[in-house]
Amino acid sequence: MTAMMTWLRDPNPQSRTQARLGQMWLGWLRMRRNPLAMIGLMIVLALLLMAAWAPLLATHDPLTQNLSQRLLPPGSAGHWLGTDEFGRDIWSRIVYGSRVTLYIVGLVALTAPAFGLLIGTVSGYFGGWVDQVLMRITDIFLAFPRLILALALVAALGPGVENAVLAIALTAWPPYARVARAETLTVRSADYIAAVQLQGAGSGRIIWGYVMPMCLPSVIIRVTLDMAGVILTAAGLGFLGLGVQPPMAEWGQMISSGRKFLFDQWWVATVPGLAIFTVSLGFNLLGDGLRDVLDPRSASR
Amino acid sequence: MTLLSVKDLYVTFRTESGIVEAVRGVSFDLGRERLGIVGESGSGKTMTGRSVLRLIRPPGRIDAVEMTFDGIDLLKISERQMRALRGKRIAMVMQDPKYSLNPVMRVGEQLTEGLRRRDGLRGAELHRKAIAALEAVQIRDPERVLRAYPHELSGGMGQRVMIAMMLIPQPDLLIADEPTSALDVTVQAEVLSILDGLVRDRGMGLIFISHDLRLVGRFCDRVLVMYKGRVVEELEAKHLMQAQHPYTQGLLNCLPRIGGDRGPLPGLDRAAAWAG
Amino acid sequence: MALIEIDNLSVTFDAGDRYVHAVQGVSLTVHARESFGLVGESGSGKSTILRAICGLAPISGGAIRIDGKPLQTPRGFDFARRVQMVFQDPYASLHPRHTIDRTLAEPLAIHRIGDTDRRVVQALRDVGLDPSFRFRYPHQLSGGQRQRVAIARALMLEPEILLLDEPTSALDASVQAETLNLLSRLRAERGLTFLMVSHDLAVIDHMCDRILVMQHGRAVEELDRDQLAAGAMKTGYARTLFNASADRMLDG
Repeated sequence: MTAMMTWLRDPNPQSRTQARLGQMWLGWLRMRRNPLAMIGLMIVLALLLMAAWAPLLATHDPLTQNLSQRLLPPGSAGHWLGTDEFGRDIWSRIVYGSRVTLYIVGLVALTAPAFGLLIGTVSGYFGGWVDQVLMRITDIFLAFPRLILALALVAALGPGVENAVLAIALTAWPPYARVARAETLTVRSADYIAAVQLQGAGSGRIIWGYVMPMCLPSVIIRVTLDMAGVILTAAGLGFLGLGVQPPMAEWGQMISSGRKFLFDQWWVATVPGLAIFTVSLGFNLLGDGLRDVLDPRSASR
Repeated sequence: MTLLSVKDLYVTFRTESGIVEAVRGVSFDLGRERLGIVGESGSGKTMTGRSVLRLIRPPGRIDAVEMTFDGIDLLKISERQMRALRGKRIAMVMQDPKYSLNPVMRVGEQLTEGLRRRDGLRGAELHRKAIAALEAVQIRDPERVLRAYPHELSGGMGQRVMIAMMLIPQPDLLIADEPTSALDVTVQAEVLSILDGLVRDRGMGLIFISHDLRLVGRFCDRVLVMYKGRVVEELEAKHLMQAQHPYTQGLLNCLPRIGGDRGPLPGLDRAAAWAG
Repeated sequence: MALIEIDNLSVTFDAGDRYVHAVQGVSLTVHARESFGLVGESGSGKSTILRAICGLAPISGGAIRIDGKPLQTPRGFDFARRVQMVFQDPYASLHPRHTIDRTLAEPLAIHRIGDTDRRVVQALRDVGLDPSFRFRYPHQLSGGQRQRVAIARALMLEPEILLLDEPTSALDASVQAETLNLLSRLRAERGLTFLMVSHDLAVIDHMCDRILVMQHGRAVEELDRDQLAAGAMKTGYARTLFNASADRMLDG
């Protein structure tokens, strides 16, 4: 362990990998000093573990109905979070629902920022008419209310997890393009860009190797802060019945079906609501912490 | 007469990688004279200047056996009393006026802010004082400068405005941290002669912090040469060329000269015993 | 034979509401293996000339020829192999997220030159840096070490012309001396041609054979080294500049 630490903190790394890992280690040390970010990280890790070990954690089959045990309150024998209107165990549905949530969040987090980053850096780097065209397209997407656009897409493509993801991704990328473009504009005139231009590098190499690494931190931070919104949009689509289809467990859709009993059997809607709240909070806290670690302005210190 | 007395000043920073001592036991006395503090980056010269005004942010801390200004113990007085002292009796001019002036406020407003707040001046009297302050730093068209925004001024002009602003409350001590480094050589000379005149006419004390040994030698009465947080040599500016310490000599010799022989410039021996 | 010929060069920037004439009708020639200096205060257009040569500033009038051939836009691979530049601020000219190794290997990758490991290590040695610096990041180096890396990068493609834009003005005096010595040594070893910009007459005098004094985008006076050392200026501005640098004289 100590040998590993010395290796990581070696001021004269012997290879690229060692240099990169050393930097990551320093970032981790910075992050560890922020207790709120660590709480966020714990929550996100807990979500990951919950999804991975769902069959072990779940006490019941999330889909098996048992009408004799419907609408049991939390703390009932065998159902510590209660049951829903079909007598399905809410804890097990939350556990399996985390898989869906993670799936949606993961796919959106991979596609939307990547697309936004590409549009934003290309737009900012070239400027001129390229910038004009790309940014006006971005404006058009920004101008639509997110949920409405997602609704329209799902309505056209038909309900389902994949289409929900596609709809969310298509509506989520413009802010990333904006962030990336703003960052690109400050980086574009830097001397290190001028230096590599002088060496004869092409635009692709410069954007990929020089501009994107500088934009990535802002985008990553923005992504983690947006994750809460993505979960809520997915839940919203689920709530409207346009996302995941029953009987599959999904948190938003669970709230949706629980609202009918909100006054008498409050837990049916509240428990998945709390799950969404916790995970959203986790991503937000993590994003705040990542800002301190990844922000190029603080990284130089 | 001693205006400022500093004995055994330490400035320390507690960081992840341990305690960093930026200033290590610096002592000096200042009368109504021009004292130069010279050193390379990281020598602690700026920290020394800032600690007189207690402008060291946490995690930095200031320790000293003594730090008195005109009979006031700068280490003991409250932050509130310190604020009253800053600007009014001890003023500071920074390197780059771009970062010291508020970009969205007209020069006139910034210049007269203190007069309005502290002395309650208004109208014609205020205007007259502002014009006089700008004329004191040899600004030729003070009316225009008063109406201008900072970005409309050149570097030399901005620095003069900064100096004028600092001098309005008639401070007893001015700390100038690289006040001319961002300026062109021809402008540099003018700003220096303004500072020079102010010290002579008003009997102000001046601490002039710079990396430029020759400039300080020409301009100041006395010079402290700092290296790695310590004063390695203190000498009369007119004897600068006869400096004894190897570091001071090294600093003087490593500069290229007009008409020099263009051979390799002598480097600075940092490995010597005194560097520890 | 003139290696760099600048003929009546003008550079005009469009600042939106007005045009900024950064360089107006400047001509100069630099011979092979010569070291030529551009001196002036801020806003004199001296750095803009270097940037115009590199294609980083628009040429709005006149011509620049390298080895008798007019420059092409974009400058292209051949230009990159002949002309390289060292920038003023070593904190801004190295990519903060690239290791030194990547910074130095990049020109080799662009020009598809192999043998990367050996060349990178050799380049570090040539500028007096230990090869153990290879996988460090720029923020782990001092200003002087960074500028050495920037010089090493400029030399990776073995150019014959080096454009130096105030290469030492951001450095401490002792580090400036080391960097100037390094540049002089490299020029002697490799037969480089320098076109150097500085506001410091002493630095320019130390490094250059001939100088051009500039003010407000125009050429004021061309001097050779003996004229400068003797203070034999003809124009008032050059004299003002010289007098303001009087403390940088040999017997100062």
